[in-house]
Amino acid sequence: MVRAPVTQEEASRFLLQATMGATRADIDKVMTLGFEGWIDEQMAMPREISHWDWLVSVRVEGDRSYISGTGYGWDQTIWRQLIGGQDQLRQRVGMALLDFLVVGMDGVTGSWPTMQVAAYMDVLMDNAFGNYRTLIGQITTSTAMGSFLTYLDNRKGDPVSGAEPDENYARELMQLFTLGLHQLNMDGTPLLAGGEPIETYGSDDVAQLARVLTGLTYANADKNTPDRLRLPMIVNESIHEGGASTVLGATVSGPGATAIPAALDIIFRHPNVAPFLALNLIKRLTSSNPSPAYVASVARTFVDNGRGERGDLAATVRAILLHAEVRGPGALTNPSAGRLRDPVQRFTGWARAFNAVTAGKWKIGDLSAITKLGQSPGRSPSVFGFFRPGYSAPGTQVSGAGLVAPEFQLVNEQTVLSFINFMYTTVSGGVGDVKADYTEILAKATDANALVDEVVLLLAAGQLPPATVAAIRAAVASISLSKSDGLINRVGVAIMLTLASPDGLVLR
Amino acid sequence: MHLNQHHSRRSFLTRSAQLGLAGVAAPLVNTLGWIGEAAAASASDYKALVCVFLYGGNDYANTLAPYDDTSYAAYLKARPSVALTREALAPMLLRPDQALPGGRHYALAPAMAPLLPLFDQGKMAMLLNVGTLMEPTTKAQYLAKTVRVPPKLFSHNDQQSFFQASHPEGAATGWGGRIGDLVAAGNGSATLTCINASGNAVYLAGRQAIPYSVSGSGPVPLLRNSKTLFGSATSADTLRQLMTGGGQTLMADDYAKVVRRSLDTYAQVNAALANAPEDNFGLFPDYSLADQLKLVARMMSVSSDLGVKRQVFFVSMGGFDRHNGLVTQQPNMLGAVAQSMKAFYDTTVTMGIADRVTSFTASDFGRTLSADRDGSDHGWGGMHWVVGGAVKGRQIIGKPPIVGSNTPDDVGRGRLLPTTSVDQYAATLASWFGTSDGELTTVLPNLAAWDRSSWNLGFL
Repeated sequence: MVRAPVTQEEASRFLLQATMGATRADIDKVMTLGFEGWIDEQMAMPREISHWDWLVSVRVEGDRSYISGTGYGWDQTIWRQLIGGQDQLRQRVGMALLDFLVVGMDGVTGSWPTMQVAAYMDVLMDNAFGNYRTLIGQITTSTAMGSFLTYLDNRKGDPVSGAEPDENYARELMQLFTLGLHQLNMDGTPLLAGGEPIETYGSDDVAQLARVLTGLTYANADKNTPDRLRLPMIVNESIHEGGASTVLGATVSGPGATAIPAALDIIFRHPNVAPFLALNLIKRLTSSNPSPAYVASVARTFVDNGRGERGDLAATVRAILLHAEVRGPGALTNPSAGRLRDPVQRFTGWARAFNAVTAGKWKIGDLSAITKLGQSPGRSPSVFGFFRPGYSAPGTQVSGAGLVAPEFQLVNEQTVLSFINFMYTTVSGGVGDVKADYTEILAKATDANALVDEVVLLLAAGQLPPATVAAIRAAVASISLSKSDGLINRVGVAIMLTLASPDGLVLR
Repeated sequence: MHLNQHHSRRSFLTRSAQLGLAGVAAPLVNTLGWIGEAAAASASDYKALVCVFLYGGNDYANTLAPYDDTSYAAYLKARPSVALTREALAPMLLRPDQALPGGRHYALAPAMAPLLPLFDQGKMAMLLNVGTLMEPTTKAQYLAKTVRVPPKLFSHNDQQSFFQASHPEGAATGWGGRIGDLVAAGNGSATLTCINASGNAVYLAGRQAIPYSVSGSGPVPLLRNSKTLFGSATSADTLRQLMTGGGQTLMADDYAKVVRRSLDTYAQVNAALANAPEDNFGLFPDYSLADQLKLVARMMSVSSDLGVKRQVFFVSMGGFDRHNGLVTQQPNMLGAVAQSMKAFYDTTVTMGIADRVTSFTASDFGRTLSADRDGSDHGWGGMHWVVGGAVKGRQIIGKPPIVGSNTPDDVGRGRLLPTTSVDQYAATLASWFGTSDGELTTVLPNLAAWDRSSWNLGFL
């Protein structure tokens, strides 16, 4: 097949959707391999060292604080991989999954929360190009999810005390992880009956599924090491509800070891899973308002990857990234198109574009304070994540047009300025022990135009309007090179002005 | 599920914890006296509504516990693993002016002790079984599905939204914002009508009114007030110009609009708050919620500088989704809420505007009466409270739900079918704030389903 060569702007646009940030080297690679060739290479790439193993290796070096407590080491290992990992497509898909299959550090209870979240992220990463049914199964038996959504040691009902099974996971598994509240057509639009949306499940389904999801507990009783936190939970049949339960119209019964997978099979077969997952992943990778045709195309791939397999995430991700709606030029002139890059992506975008390196152990820390990014991986305050896929900020043009902009849930009068302030400090002096290495970009800084074009390419895929580029060029050129810090200041200004431009934050 | 409250970094000011109303006058008059003066100028024509949202769905039964023999026995039977003891509840027994029918009695959670004096002094009212409804609903109607009920009951995000906006997730406006729409024109700074001290919430979005968000420490200065960017004044100017300029997409344009609002308002708010230094607001304990309420108090103290007469505020705290740790965690959280709301009320007293400020609680939903194991599950109706100088306190308002399962008030596991709607609750607050009867149905579209005589619950 003859294909038009990929331009550097097209390559950067693709990388800003498929990775945690574009680099000059990756742009060149995409231009060489093409989009599909690059995806093939990435999907064939083995994982980085697992989060778990890295933390254990650091502990072996003698600093136990990395694995204890709530997240000192977690922040280090996640930033290390997001910024420095070669398996960038997996990193990006892993973050997209974590965005809606949420576990948040501060809601994880029990010993070694850091190791629990690390093990959970490893499940997402290991399955990022695997099968969604397998992923849901492994999430269900993850101790981190078990404690975060409070079903670890969930007991069957007790007629004496009146205690009932905890419904927390049963509800969120269906609402947030697999089905959503309303029945959907394959193209993601709601299925209507008499003009009204149809609920996907009822309170009875939640209660019945909660009965099935009883009995899950640690794989062993060893409390002295974190080891059991990465093992799948097992069923303690003595507290599992063994009777028949009817979920979504199908009945399961018997020991938990068979009833739980059977219930997950029922959910996985529900027709909503395909459009629900298509919408969730598209919104986090490429587009906040995909057309029904785009959603349907991705959903069909989820239903059948071409080899009869349902739930193939590799094929689904490929379909999302290669669709004409986000690869073709149409979106570039459509004012309703695009997606606001979230604060973490803007930060890692900077770090990757300018070769951020650590002086030691990636001590960037938790950036979720509103004086920082207001968002940080694995630090969501609730299972609803940092933003909801259906969020449409009141009083905006987006909401007026009937569209959504999920990432705007983090946008307000204070966060828009805090972001600039945080990035100013970071671009200047780094964060923690992580600093940019501007050597490469400094080579362009004598030529203001060349410098700005490269920065705008790396951070915003060259999507700034000409007037904005001209304004940035003028500001950069106004900085005299007669002083010793002239070159580096030019680099800093080019970066900050690109990050400050709203057009640079919304990628189409 | 939501997180526990975040304690703020500043040190804990112990004196606030023990101060009763009597204690306020003497030691604090010196530090706070001049604030009273500042506020006095506008006090004659100022009103504020403060929504305290408890994210996650607060457990109703351990917030306001049944106390009379029969009800307590039913409560204990329904949730033996998480019930509060009668001994712990005894000092918290509420003695309303008008006894409840049927010999019913309630006691506040022991952790809410800081609020008990306010109830006794008539500055706080309790509301029974308040929840989201679309029209008056009996259990028979609910079971037969012959009336409309809010969609997606028991779902956090949707019921949060329904409580705030009378519509599930995706609502365009909330009733706080719709109340704001009606008063914004009377404010010198319309932008400062609806103020959120805890991020974003649909509650404060009006048809015209746009909420202004400000953090507990006040507005953030761009570039921390530096006039240069990497030493370049030109570049700092360009930065401002680019951030506020029009965008080539709807999203970029919307983003720039938020930046413009932020920069336009910063100088005004920052200058005004400079006249209300944090140190002068020493009653507040060390919780995020208290920080938010302190900011609200500081803003109110400079309302005349800001040219505002009517304000709607929103503060919040997460962590109430106690599927587990109900007994260990909820008391800490209710304690934080009680201490923070008490400190806020006492501060308004010192400022001389207590009767012009009403704060009230809201939450996703109440929870089940039956326990999971050491927690409870998503429910519907819940218990709420209102605090302020204008409140007709020492009242327990509403119909005491019969405690137990399969009662007329129970729709499963002790989930309460609300007998007081959020619309009636909101209408009472809005009426006090100045919303006319004619405007109420605009603010609260579902209110018309209730008989007009029941719109005002009588706590203000």
